[in-house]
Amino acid sequence: MAKAFKNGLKGITGFLEPAERELLRSLFADVISMLEPTDRGSEDPLAAMIGLDMEVREPSDRALRRLLPNAVKDDAGASLEFRQLTERSLRESKIGALRAAALGLDKDELVLTPSDARHWSTALNDVRLVLAERLDIRDEADADHVHQMQDWSQAEDVESYLALVYNFTTWLQESLVQAMLQSLDTRP
Amino acid sequence: MTLSVALGPDTQESIQTGTAVSTDTLTAPDVPWNLVIWNDPVNLMSYVSYVFQSYFGYSETKANKLMLEVHRKGRSIVAHGSKEQVEQHAVAMHGFGLWATVEKATGGDSGGGKRGGPGKGKGKRG
Repeated sequence: MAKAFKNGLKGITGFLEPAERELLRSLFADVISMLEPTDRGSEDPLAAMIGLDMEVREPSDRALRRLLPNAVKDDAGASLEFRQLTERSLRESKIGALRAAALGLDKDELVLTPSDARHWSTALNDVRLVLAERLDIRDEADADHVHQMQDWSQAEDVESYLALVYNFTTWLQESLVQAMLQSLDTRP
Repeated sequence: MTLSVALGPDTQESIQTGTAVSTDTLTAPDVPWNLVIWNDPVNLMSYVSYVFQSYFGYSETKANKLMLEVHRKGRSIVAHGSKEQVEQHAVAMHGFGLWATVEKATGGDSGGGKRGGPGKGKGKRG
């Protein structure tokens, strides 16, 4: 059974069973593959170098749209312009955090530096955002409904399995954030 | 946003609701853009507060006040600045997984009558 993250002398520490690490590794990999750009064969190399992406479009997948949301409400044109300038680097920073978190899964005991902890918290959050879309969590009532699912022996279909996975990642993230808040309190 | 699920003895819920009254003064009236954070049922309340504290350098009290405003009212203006500044904040918020938009300040709408702009202490980290 996983242990909650704790803030201590060594930094933020946690413990995960091999099966839990395997689960997280595959979740991180799934989100990485969603965020990895599709074919870039025909793009302008100069634009790529400075991080522009003139061919970017608002994602059609809801979960991806949640990871890469529109930045201007009710203004598709302005949102698209914003995407052209920023989406590539946003994808890259998210992928970087997910990869860093995945790398940390090589040992049972997790010992996180402040920067590891930041990567972990955003990686777990992105995983939760994707799972929440797959589970159709649209409001607080939906979220409460999913929270009811706590018993792994109840996992009988894909949806109940996803709900249990979602609740596990939520618990893990909550414990991590509490440890991070404590480390903010004790900062010099 | 969602509260912690609080499974098991190692997790604690400590959301300070408090009765904090905003004492933040307005930023310069000619600052024309707002950064808005929108509520969603997924982001943890603790995480949103953490992001406001660590990224904007807000106090715990101020971060929790803004977080609760997002939670209860559906949105909150959490920073002001030039268009470039708030766009940069928006990308950072999207990096954290928060749903942020930028909008031109209209003067009338200040997020429920309380400005949440960075007055003093806008020490940016992270």
